[in-house]
Amino acid sequence: MFELKINRFTVALGVAIALASAGAAKAEDGEYGVLMKTLANPFWGAMAQGVKDGADEAGVKYFLQAAESDQAAEPQLNLCNTMLERKPVAMITAAINSTNLLPCLKAAQDAQIKIVDLDNNLDQAVLDKEGIKVTFHIGSDNIAAGAQGAEYLVSKLGKDAKGPVLVIEGLSGNITGEKRASGFAEKLKELAPGLEIVASLPGDWDRGKAASIANDTLTAHPDLVAIFCANDGMALGAVESVYAAGKGDQVTIIGVDGNSDAVKSIKEGRLNASVAQLPYLVGKQAVENVKKALAGEQVEESIAVPTLVLTKDVLDAGTEPMLQYVK
Amino acid sequence: MAVETARSGLWTRAQRASVDQLHIRLESLIVLIALGAVMAVLSPFFLSLSNFLNILLATSTIGVLVIAATFVIGSGGLDLSLGSVMGLAGVVGAYVAVSLEWPWPLAVAACILAGAAAGNINGQLVTRAFVPAFIVTLGMLGLARGLALVISHGRAIYGLPSAMVYIGQGRPLGIPMPVVIFVATALVAHCVLAYTRFGRHTLALGDSEGAARAAGIRVERHSRIIYTLSGALAGLAGLLFTARVNAGDPTAGINYELTAITAAIIGGTNLFGGRASILGTMIGALIMGVLQNGLTLLAVQSYYQQMAIGAVLILAVFIDQYQVRRESRV
Repeated sequence: MFELKINRFTVALGVAIALASAGAAKAEDGEYGVLMKTLANPFWGAMAQGVKDGADEAGVKYFLQAAESDQAAEPQLNLCNTMLERKPVAMITAAINSTNLLPCLKAAQDAQIKIVDLDNNLDQAVLDKEGIKVTFHIGSDNIAAGAQGAEYLVSKLGKDAKGPVLVIEGLSGNITGEKRASGFAEKLKELAPGLEIVASLPGDWDRGKAASIANDTLTAHPDLVAIFCANDGMALGAVESVYAAGKGDQVTIIGVDGNSDAVKSIKEGRLNASVAQLPYLVGKQAVENVKKALAGEQVEESIAVPTLVLTKDVLDAGTEPMLQYVK
Repeated sequence: MAVETARSGLWTRAQRASVDQLHIRLESLIVLIALGAVMAVLSPFFLSLSNFLNILLATSTIGVLVIAATFVIGSGGLDLSLGSVMGLAGVVGAYVAVSLEWPWPLAVAACILAGAAAGNINGQLVTRAFVPAFIVTLGMLGLARGLALVISHGRAIYGLPSAMVYIGQGRPLGIPMPVVIFVATALVAHCVLAYTRFGRHTLALGDSEGAARAAGIRVERHSRIIYTLSGALAGLAGLLFTARVNAGDPTAGINYELTAITAAIIGGTNLFGGRASILGTMIGALIMGVLQNGLTLLAVQSYYQQMAIGAVLILAVFIDQYQVRRESRV
């Protein structure tokens, strides 16, 4: 009877073994751990692809985990703790927020594991306070991305252009959106002082909210010449309002991200430009630089991965070498 | 007669003893141990003290919610608001400590009181307004989450006082504080449910409300206490979460109620009440913890981990039903 009973659990065991052996790769020496926010998003998918290609080229082993969503702060911390048990030589982490992984990063540091801040999610002031030293931060330079938006605008309208400009920021208080907006504003002032920013409002990353802001601003300033949005979603919202008002030819609209919807809209000749982030390149360069750092070479403390201005001309020509990284 | 003798073998006696004295089902314990053995064979990193503590640490927040779920489900109720109430409590605690800058013991108390208050509202509505528990707690799921977002303006509240962070990150004698709190809470809860009159009344209520009423149990009052207790435990879980990530995060605990209910059922709690044990459901929670930990160590992607847990849930209930059918045949 006893044996018969146990037999039933062989079913349960079978399931467990099958699942486990599906991915049962023995851990190897010199492995990198890569922890992302989520993979359920094209941005992180492209970054994971970059990590894979970078690791293949550099001939290093890595294992990648991601939380189930980019809001699962505690599950990500649990994943991080567990990953340390595999004793990786480096942890490349994209923390969900600036504090959730701190206990794990501290433990990694104590175990002499190199820590990389993937996509600039950690706050240097918080790290200093906790006594955590990261090997490097890597990600897009959001100030530079904003500035590139301004450069594109001035190249299109000329440096003597005059007229009102609207800036739609991200979620108020969000550092990424602030950097993009301020990068744009400063560069614009420097290059074309005649273009005046008449309003800079938070669009909360929301397409609908950006559309309303664009609409209201067009009412107040019918001669509006340009709109800069801190991401593509909001830029696409603004596009709708501008075209609905019949001012598609008068207003130049610029977004940031280079996502597939934006690329489509640019090709259709509606959105004028998007400053594309290159997550693929971020992932690839992260792995390459970890290898350098482990070999004892000097690595910059903060690595800025370039961004690329996508316009109809650039997309139609297809000759820009960095276009291959736009996924 | 022949069947009777065959059934009173060593296995049956071991089963009976574990059920009678410890209030656990031996099957779930065997699954847990077997799972641990498989992981230990497959991954050289599984069997270590630090990894064992990791599993307990990763289980601690959800484990406290599992205790709450066990009480409620055992009494024949249902609490779908656990994850949201946990998120709300954490935000309230962080708000009191960071934004109001009140001393940390008040913030800790605020976490638990906020949870208890939400739970009490659930209980009042279920027993006095006669709205089904499913609806009341589903409503509370939205209410509590929304309130957490309102209080925090949709953003995490960072920078808790160090004494509060210690609750989530401290390691007295090398044991993580959340593990200490979780294990202590589980032991107390186990004794309450298994060995006290309160516990017996809880399960009697889950078994049959009519019979419980006839036996003189003040059914409504008892229900309200259970829901309030459930909320308070969700508040404690919120405190652990907040202290672990050093931030009152309004999105904390999304979907945790489902994980908690899953663990309670894997651990042998009857979804319709009447049968529940904290030690049993702790084994359920640990089965999930070991599965997640082991699969992560084996570098299996997290999406497969969710599938594995789903499969284990169905399997656990299947085994349970099979058992019940066999017994009823005798």
